[in-house]
Amino acid sequence: MFQQILSLMVNLAEQTGLAQIWWGNIFMIFVGAILVYLALYRKYEPFLLLGIGFSCIVANVPGSDLTQPGGLFYYAYQGVELVIIPPLIFLGVGAMTDFGPMIANPSLMILGAAAHLGIFIALIGAKALGFTLAEAGAIGIIGGADGPMAIFVTMKLAPHLLPQIAVAAYSYMALMPLIQPPIMKLLTSPAERQIVMVQSRKVSRLEKICFPFVMAIIVNLLLPPVAPLITMLMLGNMLREVLLVDRLASTAANDLMNVITITLTVAVGSTMEADKFLNIKTLQIIVLGLIAFIGGTASGVIGAKIMNWFSGGKINPLIGSAGIASVPIAARVSHVVGLQENPYNFLIMHAMGPNLAGVFGTAISGGIMLALIGVK
Amino acid sequence: MTVPDTMEGAYILSVIDFLLSFVIIWGMSLVLYIFPYLNKLGHLDDSKLRGGH
Repeated sequence: MFQQILSLMVNLAEQTGLAQIWWGNIFMIFVGAILVYLALYRKYEPFLLLGIGFSCIVANVPGSDLTQPGGLFYYAYQGVELVIIPPLIFLGVGAMTDFGPMIANPSLMILGAAAHLGIFIALIGAKALGFTLAEAGAIGIIGGADGPMAIFVTMKLAPHLLPQIAVAAYSYMALMPLIQPPIMKLLTSPAERQIVMVQSRKVSRLEKICFPFVMAIIVNLLLPPVAPLITMLMLGNMLREVLLVDRLASTAANDLMNVITITLTVAVGSTMEADKFLNIKTLQIIVLGLIAFIGGTASGVIGAKIMNWFSGGKINPLIGSAGIASVPIAARVSHVVGLQENPYNFLIMHAMGPNLAGVFGTAISGGIMLALIGVK
Repeated sequence: MTVPDTMEGAYILSVIDFLLSFVIIWGMSLVLYIFPYLNKLGHLDDSKLRGGH
């Protein structure tokens, strides 16, 4: 009888996660804990990092079948794999965003393209490291600093790299307040950082209502591969700007967005299982992603410096880095760095123009990339 | 025809994509320059829109 009990206990122990745990799980649980720490104590994008960190920890506790078919995390990931979640996020982002600063100052839109040099630095770097061109393109798009677009393009080009790319994209977006300021300060003089920009014109309701229709037509016409995302962005923005359907706009911007954010963070975090995540490719992607962010920030600032020279000193080069996208984090960084130099210089609305243009810039780069590589 | 999966292909893709991004964004900004002229078509009152006309 004693032997029977012992045998049952051993059998029971073998069914727990304790029998399957290895150092990789412990390392990834530590990584998840760091993400939670950054969210809780450093306040870096808690809406994203808390969910990613938590599900990363849970996904690395062996025994749980949450990430296996039948588990809830697995179904959350299906929303990513079937490219349902990224367009819905864009719907919410559109419903939350006032494109007025971009409409008011179209000349600054060009910074949305200038700040994307990082994409191509990372792409060439990835190709040199032996990745295929499709994989390199997916890695490069991390430099677009746009999470849903990074997921969308990766699912089309290299779905097997989604965990690494999604984690790199969202982590670096959260860490932008740390990554960008040193580069911005290195490339600008104190005098340039103190430039006070002229207030932009007021954009009328009619312009704001026409904007989503015009942009949806242009993007569907010129960039069909990324049209689903921008179309949803414009649909959300139209719901916001017509003012007639407050309930729909509010649902898209709040309730739906919250549900989708929870689903997305759980999906991304649950892909960070040690056996899939811990390899040399992950390390390469993490480093290339950082290079992409640094390159994009630098090229944006340089682009704004060139515009400043041509405008006769009217453009603060700090707003250039906001062209990398990551709305509104990058614009906030430009604003904060500007405030450090001059406490009465409020750059936020000026930086929002290039910041919003950066969303289009990433979509354009991604769309052209998909078309050139031959993916629909 | 698609870009070859070589180092040269990566350079070609990068150059075309980066330059074309500028052209398309520039084109979009040109469209936005026309937007102030929309106001000549009329005026929409926020309070009337909120009230459903």
